[in-house]
Amino acid sequence: MTDVSSNAEAGAIAPASAPWSIRMRDVTVRYPNGVVALNRVTLDIEAGEMVSVVGLSGSGKSSMIRTINGLVPITSGSLEVGGRHLESLRGRELRRLRGEIGMIFQSFNLARRTSVLNNVLVGRLAHTPTWRTLLGLYLSDDKQIAFEALDSVGILAKAYDRASTLSGGQQQRVAIARALAQQPKLVLADEPVASLDPPTAIGVMGDLRRINHELGITVLTNLHLLDLARQYGTRLIGLRAGEVVYDGPAATASDEVFENIYGRSIEHEDVLGA
Amino acid sequence: MTDLELPPRPRGRWKPWFALAVIVVITAITLSPQLGIAFSFDAIARNWQNGANKIFAMLQPDWAFFPRTIPPLLETLEMAVIATFVGSAISLPLCLWAARLTNPNRWGRGILRTILNIVRSIPDLLYASVLVAMVGVGALPGIIALLLFNIGIIVKMVSETIEANDAGPLEAGKAAGGTQLQINRAIALTDAAPSFINQTLYVLELNVRASTVLGLVGAGGLGLLIDAVRTFYRYDQLSLIILEILIVVVIIDSVSDAIRRRLV
Repeated sequence: MTDVSSNAEAGAIAPASAPWSIRMRDVTVRYPNGVVALNRVTLDIEAGEMVSVVGLSGSGKSSMIRTINGLVPITSGSLEVGGRHLESLRGRELRRLRGEIGMIFQSFNLARRTSVLNNVLVGRLAHTPTWRTLLGLYLSDDKQIAFEALDSVGILAKAYDRASTLSGGQQQRVAIARALAQQPKLVLADEPVASLDPPTAIGVMGDLRRINHELGITVLTNLHLLDLARQYGTRLIGLRAGEVVYDGPAATASDEVFENIYGRSIEHEDVLGA
Repeated sequence: MTDLELPPRPRGRWKPWFALAVIVVITAITLSPQLGIAFSFDAIARNWQNGANKIFAMLQPDWAFFPRTIPPLLETLEMAVIATFVGSAISLPLCLWAARLTNPNRWGRGILRTILNIVRSIPDLLYASVLVAMVGVGALPGIIALLLFNIGIIVKMVSETIEANDAGPLEAGKAAGGTQLQINRAIALTDAAPSFINQTLYVLELNVRASTVLGLVGAGGLGLLIDAVRTFYRYDQLSLIILEILIVVVIIDSVSDAIRRRLV
């Protein structure tokens, strides 16, 4: 447990054995208050893709990401994640599926009063019997995975610090480590850099790209900044009012494409510009 | 000065004045001899001599009585500590059970909250007097009475803090595939810890005060002794007991204050 770096080379954070694909067919999400977040969305996301999802707030991009790991139930249509039909999964099976999908949030969502290590170990919950969690007895293998995940985002030294004492960028890295500790087949990131300053944002986007390049994990990132979406995605999906209005390569997407997605002209705040 | 186009004045500015008028009317009605409790200071004016004698007696504590107060004082403290410890241990899972964020099951939550509302609405002295009849005179009915009282307070206060906490970290646990129980233990509990410790310390203070009077109905501790000396009009001994309670309460208050300050 002491010599983490050599273990990391041995490959406990191994490339995803088989990254997951996503098949959405006519997926509609209607919230109880009547708001239609997704309107008959049909999409195929292949295993190992790095996808940027862009759209204004309220366009349904957050709902789409939450639908993919079952945090938001779909109203109609069919959604297949990693070969399993999400709409038919309940209880234990749904939790097992979520256990394979890492999720990163805009506001980091760390338990602020506990250690960085304990936060990363949350990524092992799906693989831990409940009695172990209740007693706080984590397996040393799980701790090893957590240390390696922290090492891979460069903040292993902070393992025993309280989460609330870290800077925003460091907290988001802890959140990425938490997702990595799940040894995920798919990573979903919901506006991962919207609370960060530009240099930190670029660092965090770099981490996400590394997850995709080096580990081969499928990564879906919600963004509202067009330069980040172009630079860090290989594919761009544009959402407006719950419908897919663009689906194509990210790097060559012109400003006109973004103006079409946003339904207005490009403004200063749509670009990170660092 | 230019003519500014002011926004329309908000309506309803009479509301505070109306509320004040309602309070004054209610107070007047409750004080009136026909409808209310006919409260007045007459009794003090008529019996002031009586009161002055007792205060005079109380100003001269019977220090020789001190050794006899030690065992009941210790019993009172033991009751308070045991009730706080067991009460908070029972409360901890119930706090998580009673909050929406940590228990999505509306029915389970509703049932628990209803039971707790009933438990909390009954005063501890009433519990003690019924329990004395059920299990006999002594510390046990006092401890059980304090326990019920403590659970009511801790669960209400802590579950309300949990509701106000950020739901994001819990959602992260859910997204990672944890069960509700795992999420509650690994995430919700750490966020709820300061509020839980705070309430437990507060309840300890309350228990020390409450357990001194529970004995008046036979539930052990100093109260039994207070009842005895009061019956024999020994106000000099009573004042010694009051002095001891005062010192103990001040000590407990300052210790729990010190702990609380370290906590934040």
